[in-house]
Amino acid sequence: MTDVHSYLAEFDDIPGTRVFTAARARKGYHLNQFAMSLMKAKNRERWKADETAYLDQWPLTDEQREAVLTRDYNRMLDLGGNIYFLSKIFSTDGISFAEAVSTMTDMSFPEYREMMNKGGRSPEGNRSIKGGY
Amino acid sequence: MARIAAGVASSHVPLLGVAVDQDKTGDEYFAPIFSGYEWTRQWEKEQQPDVVVLVYNDHASAFDASIIPTFAIGCGENFKPADEGWGPRPVPDVEGHADLAWHIAQCLILDDFDMTIINEMDVDHGLTVPLSMMFGTPQKWPVRVVPLAVNVVTYPVPSGNRCWALGEAIARAVESFPEDLKVQVWGTGGMSHQLQGPRAGLLNREWDNRFMDMLIGDSDDARWIEHIEYLRETGSEGIEMVMWLIMRGALGPATRCLHRHYHIPCSNTAIGHMVLEPAT
Repeated sequence: MTDVHSYLAEFDDIPGTRVFTAARARKGYHLNQFAMSLMKAKNRERWKADETAYLDQWPLTDEQREAVLTRDYNRMLDLGGNIYFLSKIFSTDGISFAEAVSTMTDMSFPEYREMMNKGGRSPEGNRSIKGGY
Repeated sequence: MARIAAGVASSHVPLLGVAVDQDKTGDEYFAPIFSGYEWTRQWEKEQQPDVVVLVYNDHASAFDASIIPTFAIGCGENFKPADEGWGPRPVPDVEGHADLAWHIAQCLILDDFDMTIINEMDVDHGLTVPLSMMFGTPQKWPVRVVPLAVNVVTYPVPSGNRCWALGEAIARAVESFPEDLKVQVWGTGGMSHQLQGPRAGLLNREWDNRFMDMLIGDSDDARWIEHIEYLRETGSEGIEMVMWLIMRGALGPATRCLHRHYHIPCSNTAIGHMVLEPAT
């Protein structure tokens, strides 16, 4: 049987990646459920009218609220957000998946798009922090 | 008796659905992707399968964070395209095959796979994009579909070995269904992609193609690939490829490749597509 501790420990060795573990799912539960609520047109209207008031209905931490209001997606990931749930936020903002994804990298959207059209980010040097390969 | 005639693998990127719905499949950007599916569209017309067991994952559409089934099977009469936040896709409703689905569900549970049974759910791009890729834009889908949803989002997701074994169990279940049905199993998702964090945009042509090679012939090497390898080599969302292993497992000890297609990129993702049949 796979040992859960060593299974999870390996995930921290991947550069620039937050694997959506049970711990993150637990931490981000309300953040993700808030994002999910934007699937309904009525909720999107209320959210757009007053984001802060809309967030007051959800038991989020102050850090989570701030990350949402500033659209800091890396921070939302750190605070337990999952990209498929968070996609409801940027879809409501009218931003494409690729553009939203680019905000988490050190590139502008045109730079990111160009990288993708040229074959994407190479796995070389991006597989392991400790191993450096 | 029912029998599994073939397996199909395909990426299910939502942008492909947008391209179909907005009639952009011939555009410069999309044409190289869609041209790799033309062979399959013709082949599907000749094959005329009765049912597709369609393995996919829900992307926070039918299931929110409150319930996370590892393996769920759709036993309803029909399934509507999900509203993923901008209105449902303008595609036909998906007709289920409740008799076969319930039969498979019962067999799987007796075979030690503790399935979640779903009577009502909407199906998102994970399921409808592959239908569009294989069948285009008909008034009515030409097959009935048994949706099989896999958790590939919240870790731990099922292992490759477990997915392969589930495919084997699905094959046993289909073969014990008394009605004479031609069944295909589709594994969808992948290939390499990462939609989050500073490493977003990672693609791995070499690894993806090696993975496709492994699904042809009598090798079962792909069954033993660990989660950490998918994560390191194919990005955080490349793990969807374990769903291809359910399809591969259902085809038996050996396969023959009828068609194969690979293209980089579609939005953030590497597109992979294969048509396999059991080799006896």
